[in-house]
Amino acid sequence: MTDHVTTTDDAQAHPPALEMVGISKSFPGVRALTDVDLRVLPGRVHAIVGENGAGKSTLMKILAGVHQPDAGTLTVGGREVVIGSPLDAQRMGIGMVYQELNLVPDLSVAENICLGRMPRRFGVLDRRAMEQAATTALADLDAQVHWSTTVGDLTVSQQQLVEICKVYASRPDIVVLDEPTSSLSEHESQVLFDVVRRMRDRGISVIYISHRLREVLEIADDVTVLRDGHRIESRPVAGLTPADMIRLMVGRDLTEVFPKREVELGETVLEVRGLTRSGAFADVDLNIRRGEIVGLAGLVGSGRTEVARALFGLDRADAGSVVVAGRPVDVRRPGHAVAAGVAYVPEDRKADGIVPALSVRDNLSLASLGRRSRAGMVLARQERALAGEQIASLGVSPAAPERRIDTLSGGNQQKVVLGKWLATRPHVLILDEPTRGVDVGAKADIHRIIGDLAASGVGILLISSELPEVLAVSDRVLVLHEGRVAADLSAADATEAAVMHAATGQEAA
Amino acid sequence: MSATTFHRALRLVTDYRLAIMLSLTLAVAAVTVEGFVGLSTLGLSLDRASTIGLIALGLTVLLIAGQIDLSGGSIMALTGITAMALQPTLGLLGAVVAALCVGALVGAVNGLLVVRFHINSLVATLATMLAVRAVAHVATGSQPISGSDPVAGAVVVQRVVGVLTLRTVVFLVLLVLLHLWLTRTVAGRNLFAVGSNVQAATGSGVRADAYLFGAFVFGGLCSGAAGVLLSLGVNTGSPVFGETIVVTVIAAVVVGGTRLEGGRGSAIGTLGGVVTFAAITTALEFQSIPAYTQQVVTGVILIALIVLDRNATRRRASISGQQAVAPGPRVRPSSA
Amino acid sequence: MSSSLDSPHTASSTTPSQDTVAADRVTDRGRAGLRSLALPVGLLGLIVLGTLLSDRFLSTANLLNVLTSMSLVGIVVVGMTFVIISGGLADLSVPATLATGAIVMLSTQPTVGTALALLLAVASAGAAGLVNGILIGYGRANSIIVTLGVGTIVLGLAQAVVGGAIVYGEDPELAELVNGRVLGLVPFPVVVFALVAVVGHLALSRSVWGRWTYAVGSNYRATEASAVPVRATRAAAFLVTGLLAGLSGALLAISLQSVRPVIGTGYEFDAITAVLVGGVSVLGGFGSIPRAVAGLFFVQLLTNILVLQGISTPAQGLAKGALIAVAVGVDVHLRRRGGL
Repeated sequence: MTDHVTTTDDAQAHPPALEMVGISKSFPGVRALTDVDLRVLPGRVHAIVGENGAGKSTLMKILAGVHQPDAGTLTVGGREVVIGSPLDAQRMGIGMVYQELNLVPDLSVAENICLGRMPRRFGVLDRRAMEQAATTALADLDAQVHWSTTVGDLTVSQQQLVEICKVYASRPDIVVLDEPTSSLSEHESQVLFDVVRRMRDRGISVIYISHRLREVLEIADDVTVLRDGHRIESRPVAGLTPADMIRLMVGRDLTEVFPKREVELGETVLEVRGLTRSGAFADVDLNIRRGEIVGLAGLVGSGRTEVARALFGLDRADAGSVVVAGRPVDVRRPGHAVAAGVAYVPEDRKADGIVPALSVRDNLSLASLGRRSRAGMVLARQERALAGEQIASLGVSPAAPERRIDTLSGGNQQKVVLGKWLATRPHVLILDEPTRGVDVGAKADIHRIIGDLAASGVGILLISSELPEVLAVSDRVLVLHEGRVAADLSAADATEAAVMHAATGQEAA
Repeated sequence: MSATTFHRALRLVTDYRLAIMLSLTLAVAAVTVEGFVGLSTLGLSLDRASTIGLIALGLTVLLIAGQIDLSGGSIMALTGITAMALQPTLGLLGAVVAALCVGALVGAVNGLLVVRFHINSLVATLATMLAVRAVAHVATGSQPISGSDPVAGAVVVQRVVGVLTLRTVVFLVLLVLLHLWLTRTVAGRNLFAVGSNVQAATGSGVRADAYLFGAFVFGGLCSGAAGVLLSLGVNTGSPVFGETIVVTVIAAVVVGGTRLEGGRGSAIGTLGGVVTFAAITTALEFQSIPAYTQQVVTGVILIALIVLDRNATRRRASISGQQAVAPGPRVRPSSA
Repeated sequence: MSSSLDSPHTASSTTPSQDTVAADRVTDRGRAGLRSLALPVGLLGLIVLGTLLSDRFLSTANLLNVLTSMSLVGIVVVGMTFVIISGGLADLSVPATLATGAIVMLSTQPTVGTALALLLAVASAGAAGLVNGILIGYGRANSIIVTLGVGTIVLGLAQAVVGGAIVYGEDPELAELVNGRVLGLVPFPVVVFALVAVVGHLALSRSVWGRWTYAVGSNYRATEASAVPVRATRAAAFLVTGLLAGLSGALLAISLQSVRPVIGTGYEFDAITAVLVGGVSVLGGFGSIPRAVAGLFFVQLLTNILVLQGISTPAQGLAKGALIAVAVGVDVHLRRRGGL
């Protein structure tokens, strides 16, 4: 990629705080980063934007010392370095603030800020010095939090400020903020921006990872756009519009073409009105017909999984009505959902999908044991038959039903989870990131399976962060933005740009 | 009573449970026990409380660190036996030191099992509880043994400060020291961090393994001290001492506000819990209520506390955030 | 789950977020082999050792003795297996529930007859198990603390009810039946144990509920997301253990014709030791009744060898403690190497 970095004369006078050159990183089956360059100047806020899976978090994990790059160099403060561990990163003056906060809930703000570096006097804790250090950090960043409050009692936004202060207090040269505003309100975000500006004014380089383009335009000085593991462009933010950024983020050739079948749509099989869960989503309306595949798109944190979980009974909705195959249902537990004919393939395969100690066959039958048992005893023959059927039709490899499921590859595990739910003969199937962490071959298989399912009359809700997938497979696309339905696009209107516009909260282009 | 009022009441009870329990118990005791409020009875109660109290101090530290220890009673028996058995040869002081070393050693074994071999602290201390109890039986042939110098040993039950026996003073001094350590030293605060969020602690450079190991050794020492002081007082070491004490100790520590999940607790709270149970025991004994009924009371309190505790834990603000929901107009579904 | 000692495959690597293939097969098989073979080999070794150390070891009388004493613990072991596989860690209320079964059996039998007395005994112990189950399964409270607490309460109540004295039975004929042999061959308790073990094994390995038990112990969240009634499954394990402990207590009471409330002391640890030594993972999701029974056999044989050598009861406690530590240590080691 040609170097598009445009610098001002001012910036050229100072050496970059961070330079990552030619960074490449692969994981088994996936090429996460290819020859990425990043140059961050001191005292600037540098945003990194890109879709889900563009490589942002991998790049940051390399910076944080969690991963090692396969190729490329890192230069921090003018010296070439190897960041072997998170502690290394800290020592080199790199501070990370992740989305999942890393605080100790039972200790005070001051203790959290000074954790691991608490000041001593005559062998005991020097309370006053700790107080002082905390107050100074809080004051420097103008955080409206008192040092004595127990962290567990703070709001999420306040906790985040504490985490930032904690990082700031160790005098870093670089601070990385990963999607910092995903849990914050408008006002709280402004507070965060002030903090970011204060850090910048003190000469700290702030790397700001975000999906929210308006925010990036507001707070960042420079921006780097990543797409599919490549760096597309790096330039000052001045003069950019959200539309420009979207174009940079999504413009690609659709290289993977998924066969889309022409399916005749039947009657409405799922009708959702006004579904609300406070703090997660509000007023969601949704219609799916038999044979229809409705894509649910949106940025991470827009509430897609939350809607799915509520429809399936893993969480309780506060308001709204759900009608499945013409019958109104009150789904309060997954058991109710399954009885009503709703199935859900969860996002987190390892935590919510597979039961590791059980065999493939046992996993396949787990949700539908009622059908394959009599008087409480499992009918082994029927179970084996089911397993054989599913393994064959889904292409599970190796075709060994007795094997423990955790010996299978991710793609095959996903097929088993899919099979488990298909065995319940659902009317509606909700798929949450069904091809995440799955190799290309299995991915194609799964898409074929989804197509077959739709053809057989099942209504499908497909949640995916991979826009090409959503667009190619869906008949309609519902876009969520911050918990609300921002757009309901037909296949014709659903372009990547249109979806991204709605997902980032832009007004219709 | 409406649902919200009930919840609010429940919350109040949970938050202030120590104060409520303590005052209730003391009130009941004062009424039912003649001369309870008298200093001498008080002194006696505290003296008996000190045995439970010492083990409770060790357990407090371990619970704060997010671990549990079931071996306290067995350690107590073993160290008492050690002290009695070695008294003739090593003299009083020597025997006490040896016994304490035994306690610390068992604690170290616990620590090793948990930290080095990654065995769940529950299972590990279950195993040592069995093993140590067995050693105690084997060493004494299941018979109680007497010390060689009852007079020297009796010093622990001498009143040294007002009505407080030496035993009680040891307990109280250790308690105060522990309290200071927990609240005013860096190590103490780090211990809370380890119990509250071990990843965050380790990520900030706190050596969690060292703290856990040390906590177990400390627990062993405390139980050891309890055993030594108990045995000296009655000039007897017995392999059956402390067989049922673990439940009472856990109950006392939990009453005192220390959480089972780790990260929260205080020495002063443990004092409150220990005093509560001492008062209960004294009151019940005064009514000639047999030991097993006392056990029932202890068990009921423990269960009630756990249920209340569950309520309180669910309220806690979670560290991971909620999503923000934007205001805005509803988008009508397209009629497909 | 297969009916023989369970599936020979052990855990492989954790599935990272990226696609991955199964871990190195050779080391997998090696570890799997260790898990399946260790116990039979160990048992064989013990038998050899026992024969070498004492000529009384292999005698019919001695072996029958071992079987009989094993049976009463064995009944509890079946329940404890459910508890551990479901991820409930342990049920420490067994001494109390066992004593309850024993006391109720002997004290009610004169008035209501054997059958009803047995029913009452099992039911009252089961009631305690139910309380455990509700607090742990539905209340999601710590199983150790709950069973300790409930056990303390129940034992205290049991002692209070009999006023701290010994309860005597009034039916020596029944005692003879229980102490005698079925078909002149097999001791009565062994028959009961065998029945319980077979039913338990069928339930655990072939019933829907058994499947749920394994699933809950292996991954609670995923099982819940699979629309399985996880809370009820957790609770049921403790209910069953209470019932079985009551049964064991009733049998013991009939056999001895006298009951002290401390009659059940040590049963819980013996049961836990047996289950863990059998290779049932304390973390849940892995194991079986045959394994637990094999573990019980191992512990009992070891105890027997020690007894024949004249080693006292308490010293046996030492061996048991060490066994638990070793068994769990090995299990954890195997799990960590192979991943969760």
